[in-house]
Amino acid sequence: MNSLPGMEVFIFDSSAYTRSLLAEHLARLDDCSLQAHESWESWDTSRIKTKTAIVILNHHTNDTMPFDFLQQLKRASPASLVVVISSPGTPHKTFEALQQGEHCIDMIFDKPIDLDRFSRFLIERIDAMRKARDLNHQHLNLLRFLPTGALRRIFAQPEPGSAELFEMTVMFTDIRDSTALIMQQSARNYFAKLNAILASQARLIRSFDGMVVKTTGDGLLAVFEGAARCHLSLKCALAIQQSESAKNTPVGIGISDGLVLTGILGTAEHFHFDVIGSHVHLAARLCAKATQGEIVATRDVADKARFAFQSSPHDEAVMVRGFDAPVSCLHIHS
Amino acid sequence: MKSKFSDSQLSHIIDQSLIYQCACPAQVAKHIIGLRDLHDYQKNCINQTGTDKAVHQRIAADAERAHAALEECLREVLCLEEWDMQTLNMPASLQKTPRSF
Repeated sequence: MNSLPGMEVFIFDSSAYTRSLLAEHLARLDDCSLQAHESWESWDTSRIKTKTAIVILNHHTNDTMPFDFLQQLKRASPASLVVVISSPGTPHKTFEALQQGEHCIDMIFDKPIDLDRFSRFLIERIDAMRKARDLNHQHLNLLRFLPTGALRRIFAQPEPGSAELFEMTVMFTDIRDSTALIMQQSARNYFAKLNAILASQARLIRSFDGMVVKTTGDGLLAVFEGAARCHLSLKCALAIQQSESAKNTPVGIGISDGLVLTGILGTAEHFHFDVIGSHVHLAARLCAKATQGEIVATRDVADKARFAFQSSPHDEAVMVRGFDAPVSCLHIHS
Repeated sequence: MKSKFSDSQLSHIIDQSLIYQCACPAQVAKHIIGLRDLHDYQKNCINQTGTDKAVHQRIAADAERAHAALEECLREVLCLEEWDMQTLNMPASLQKTPRSF
């Protein structure tokens, strides 16, 4: 998991004296980067780099009312905590109206502030913001392990054995002559190179709305959903074959389309998402038939893809377990 | 209600006293603002019965007396602490010495 940056704290206070008092006090907050500014008027809200920041505005009676600034701030960074320190009486009432009407202020403290209460409030809110931010970060990281699109509904009941049938396009990629490549370099180097190649393929698969199910040694198993799945998978296969990494390390690709059983395999302690079925076998077989730089797809996939590509002039029929008749397929050139 | 200090003058005094530790005049100013709110509230409160009216008048009158007393208190405190009575700025000697930032 990537490490998260510290919390940004911005102080706005037109008085150098009170600004320094606030800065001195807030400098005690753990893991916070502090910036103190004299004025918000020329300050661009896009300077808040993190999604959650703490903005403390100490308003003085002679200052311009920061209505537009506070509204822009909350629009630019809705999860940020906006605290206004104001004088009681008219200033407080004005800010309170803004807080209730525009929801762009989270808390108003009346001067003189009770530092203990002010500190407790900030520490509690920073703690809550950190927890929310960390959970969100973990959630985003975990999503990378989960299936995308309609497949994600499998995880409504994440129990081993739960499964569902989907119409999908299945794609296998595999590095050609990997044994020779391994012999040419150290295992550690090959592993790093392999990881870079597979990462590059995975990025392309995601960019064509596909989903990587798993790595298969020297390649990947990916699936595509939806009405345009054949089109997207073929375009993706061509993009993989035309990529720099495939030019340096040739790969073969096999593609098939049809009903696929998707589900969760494993035990209660450890399980993973997988796809199985005759079209998965077929795509694997077609991948094995593809020579370096080649894509082998079923004629069905090529017909449904609906775009012009170069293919071998002759069809080839492949016998696959689970299919009664030989499956017609095409060699597609990148 | 007669007043020696305007709302913005009271806010200016309070603005200079960010924290409790250096805020005695600000505390007085804060209560003066509170008394003004109390007085305004009584003036605007609905009188449904004769008792209501008497209650509101009594509170408003006492708020006015307390307000006058606290305003005088504030004036004397500011003089004792040697505030600039024209600008109502806090004397430098009363300011906490903050760390430079």
